[in-house]
Amino acid sequence: MREPSQPLRRRCLAILATLITLAGAACGEEGRSADLDRADGWQGAVLENPVPKVDFTLSDTEGRPFHFASETEGSLTLLFFGYTNCPDICPIHLASIAAVMRDFPHELRSRVRVVFVSTDPQRDTPERLRTWLDGFDKSFVGLLGTVEQVNAIEQSFGLTPSFVDQAQNPERYLVGHAAQVLAFTTDNLAHIAYPFGTRQSDWAKDLPRLVRGGFGPREAR
Amino acid sequence: MTEVLWWCAARGVEWTWTWQAYPGVWLFVAALVVAFVRLERREVDAPLPHASSPMWRRTAFLGGAAALWLVLDWPIGALGAGYLASVHMIQFLVLALIAPPLLLLSIREEDYRDLARRLPEGPFRSVTHPLVTLATFTTVLAATHWPPVVDTLMPTQAGNMLLDLTWLATGLLFWWPVVAPVPVRRSWGYPMKMGYLIAATLVNTGTFAYLTFTALPVFATYELAPPFSGISTRDDQTLAGLLMKIGGAAILWTAITVLFARWYRESERGGSTPA
Repeated sequence: MREPSQPLRRRCLAILATLITLAGAACGEEGRSADLDRADGWQGAVLENPVPKVDFTLSDTEGRPFHFASETEGSLTLLFFGYTNCPDICPIHLASIAAVMRDFPHELRSRVRVVFVSTDPQRDTPERLRTWLDGFDKSFVGLLGTVEQVNAIEQSFGLTPSFVDQAQNPERYLVGHAAQVLAFTTDNLAHIAYPFGTRQSDWAKDLPRLVRGGFGPREAR
Repeated sequence: MTEVLWWCAARGVEWTWTWQAYPGVWLFVAALVVAFVRLERREVDAPLPHASSPMWRRTAFLGGAAALWLVLDWPIGALGAGYLASVHMIQFLVLALIAPPLLLLSIREEDYRDLARRLPEGPFRSVTHPLVTLATFTTVLAATHWPPVVDTLMPTQAGNMLLDLTWLATGLLFWWPVVAPVPVRRSWGYPMKMGYLIAATLVNTGTFAYLTFTALPVFATYELAPPFSGISTRDDQTLAGLLMKIGGAAILWTAITVLFARWYRESERGGSTPA
């Protein structure tokens, strides 16, 4: 049999290399739907200007005051604004975080705090919010305040204030709110945000690294 | 007003039990019925004396067409397309393993022989060769459960229809050597057919294991879908894997049992092989 010519062999190798690269890329992507900035291997979107942790106080689901800055000091804190009647973004985000945290050893899990601030005080009673959060993880903190308080807090974090869309149905209305989860590391800065579309595999990769001090003093860039 | 879509797809909207029309599914099932009626009305040159009864064939057709309609239309079609991987797996089992043998059983033997006469013998024998059909089934099964493929196809109606029809076509090809009497293969009797189906119970093991034992959700379509009925994404995926293995095995072993019973009955009568 005739040996393939050099250019032909090179072309075959080039095609093979392309196919392997494409297959590798496809495997690595795992069907991601969100177009995330993967700077330094992070799965979330790294913020160009880290957001400082703002001190605010709201009531938790037991009616006690919750001082955000002091209560979350020293923990990796995931802050998210949403509401219990949210049909998609809120339950998907919280279910993903809860599922991944269940896989972590206790030592790691105990260093993560998830704080959920309700953007729908009209329907989210403390009992309703507690029951809803318990469906994901009993350790999740639920906070309530007036619309004005919550909007001011959102703005202080650089997030768009929430708005109620009652035009369609005054009983079963939707609340527009920021879809990203802010992750505050132990340096009290959020260097990274997780938009809707973040998958469990993304949380599983990033959370341990964030807990171990990613972006913080020990793993400073 | 209810929005009219023509085929189910992952839409990313909250699930409601409000009925949704899928005219594309109705047209597809109607086209199948029309094709069957036309085939039934066709005159055959030389009717075979031992042909299966019209009632049995019509029942098989109705079963196959009804099964297709059930899993392609609302609510199963919509749930499987965009909410639950386990329902998606039920669709796969029906489209690839239940409807195809029923549809093939509904065709008269005379029509099969007529088809074989019209087709070029070489390619027809090659395409329907058991090794080819089993390899095709295995490949399509693995490819159509590969996350990048699923997540690319499911969000669009055309993509989801392609997936559904690929499963149906692959199912018809897979069942052809078991059900269809043509092309005649000398050594292809009941024992070989049973062996073929037993081999088929094993080919989904890789995909089953991947879905059942992967710790994290593999399909973005279902992981990021609005929640349905409180079932977690991981449990849903595990259930999908188990359904593929246990449901698939139940269907195939039912067929193996039927083949064995026929083989036994014919052996008792003193007759032999081909079905």
